[in-house]
Amino acid sequence: MTVTLVKTPAETAYTDAFDPQGALANVRKSAFAQFVETGLPHRRMEDWKWTDLRQLMSSPLPPVSGTIASADTIDALITASPFGEVARARLVFVDGAYDADRSSLPATGDVEFASLGSDDLPEWVSDKLVAGSTDPIAALNLAYMSDGAGLRVKAGSSMDAPIELLFVTTAEQAATYTTRNVIVLEEGASATLIETHIGGTGEYVHNSVTQLHIADNARLDRVKVQEEGLEAIHLSNTDVHLAASVHLKDFTLTIGGRATRQQGFITFAGEHSESHVSGAFLLTGKQHNDTRLVIDHAVPNCLSRELFKCVMDQAARGVFQGKAIVRRDAQKTDGNQSSHALLLSDDAEFDAKPELEIYADDVVCGHGATSGDLDENQMFYLRARGISETEAKSMLIGAFAAEAFDDVESDAIRDVLGGLAEGWLARRKAG
Amino acid sequence: MLEIKNLHVSLEEEDKQIIKGLDLTINAGEVNAIMGPNGSGKSTLSYVLAGRPGYVVTDGSITYKGQDLLEMEIDERAAAGVFLAFQYPIEIPGVATMQFLKVALNAQRKARGEGEMTTPDFMRLVRGKAEQLNVTTDMLKRPVNVGFSGGEKKRAEILQMAVLEPSLCVLDETDSGLDIDALRVVAEGVNALRSPDRGMLVITHYQRLLDYIVPDRVHVMSDGKIVKSGGKELALELEKDGYAAFAA
Repeated sequence: MTVTLVKTPAETAYTDAFDPQGALANVRKSAFAQFVETGLPHRRMEDWKWTDLRQLMSSPLPPVSGTIASADTIDALITASPFGEVARARLVFVDGAYDADRSSLPATGDVEFASLGSDDLPEWVSDKLVAGSTDPIAALNLAYMSDGAGLRVKAGSSMDAPIELLFVTTAEQAATYTTRNVIVLEEGASATLIETHIGGTGEYVHNSVTQLHIADNARLDRVKVQEEGLEAIHLSNTDVHLAASVHLKDFTLTIGGRATRQQGFITFAGEHSESHVSGAFLLTGKQHNDTRLVIDHAVPNCLSRELFKCVMDQAARGVFQGKAIVRRDAQKTDGNQSSHALLLSDDAEFDAKPELEIYADDVVCGHGATSGDLDENQMFYLRARGISETEAKSMLIGAFAAEAFDDVESDAIRDVLGGLAEGWLARRKAG
Repeated sequence: MLEIKNLHVSLEEEDKQIIKGLDLTINAGEVNAIMGPNGSGKSTLSYVLAGRPGYVVTDGSITYKGQDLLEMEIDERAAAGVFLAFQYPIEIPGVATMQFLKVALNAQRKARGEGEMTTPDFMRLVRGKAEQLNVTTDMLKRPVNVGFSGGEKKRAEILQMAVLEPSLCVLDETDSGLDIDALRVVAEGVNALRSPDRGMLVITHYQRLLDYIVPDRVHVMSDGKIVKSGGKELALELEKDGYAAFAA
């Protein structure tokens, strides 16, 4: 039986606003057609059963780009980025549009930047903008994408001074903001990239896609910090294409957002590559974070690691869905994923859904998921040394979350992440 | 300093009595040793002194420096000078030993109304004491007790004790799992802390530790009670005759 769903007000708003122009019009049309096939994902779709966007997006949030906010509002949000001291170059996007005046381009000629909002995109960007993703939210993103960063790190060059992509959403309008980044690392290049999402108070949707195309022998350290406003819905897709002998480290810290759905699709297309994907959620109130990863081992001799540490207080809810596919030719695959949840209240909830699809016979793959309260013995030990109950809890929660970013290469970035976790704990203590 | 009267303790989870009418007095400046067979309630006594959850005091009292110890929170007891050196020190991944020590020391100082110690002063204090106990800088950087050998864990416990300078030191089977060299280092560390203002309670199954930490008083514990008390020669007697004579 086919159930025909009535369009929600949010879906109607997306359809009514659709009027693609310019060079990408055809790509946008096919992407939108793909979105329309399913509409907003809902709980009867297996991968979305914990995150029903038809319900979460109950009012129309029409696609908008460009800001109506005052300079003071924008500057205050930009100052809220914790990476002000750490980033060596910064590309700022305000309400879905590039803000050249508030950005500072990388000083070196080894990195090329293109604003995706430009009418005249270089080929290395436009080549990568193709419809065909099976994910409705990624398709919707391509249909409506208004701006974002195209970054190309040239072959053999090292960009270890961090570049920050800062997405500021002022929340002055109840709208959907749609951004997309296309990051290309050429052969043997290396880079450190920070992606920061900061938002004001008010309802909005930020639909964000980051495409990572990493060529042979390249290395990328990427850190994403999501501090959207607490009434925001953050929808994110990271599409990763790894060639041979690539080294990827990717860490995401989620603190903000009323509801977050973040997806990562990682494809190993060349041998001897490694991907380390980790994340920490620090959630409270009624915050919701559903993280889904799909790791596709299409070739032999690659290694993948996923580690997620999820802290949920009050009535927060976390979901981790980790899927690993090991195709028939992908012998000697070494894959492991784990998710660990710390539930600080009886009302907090965590769901984990590991999935392994293994078609090769000579592989090592594993998964593990734990969820629980703080360890009583550790609490007793800390308190027996004179540390108060509140402080001991904070120490243990902080240590629990920090394990997920222990691996981040840059000391300066790791310190910022530690500071963000401490800030969250301090707010928790203050009640 | 510490007066335990008619102490009765049960487990919270099951209706089982572990300590059945224990009396013990520890004076400042004294080292008291408690010896006894496994299951006699020695470790339970140490946990009750430190305030570990899971035990219920059904009768009796513990007075520490004139205060009702049982009314105090775990961390209040620590700040008031009660220190338990754990038989099995707990691993705390993600918390560096040095940071842990600093937070603990400053929490105690704050609770006592003293100012926080500055980082340079603290580093000097810890480095000096760590050297005496063969605790390396590497260990201080590592997470609390994570990846430490048995001997390293016990040395780290004594280092904590030396840094926190408690008034009442309770050492629960500090000798277990130590070879003779490690035992000597640990015992020297403990002996260095002997002082006229400090009371010590050394809990052990074997007499061996008491060759190195010579006690003023020895008590034999059996089936939840002190069944015999005497001078240090009592330990030697026990070593020769065993605990059989005291079996319940």
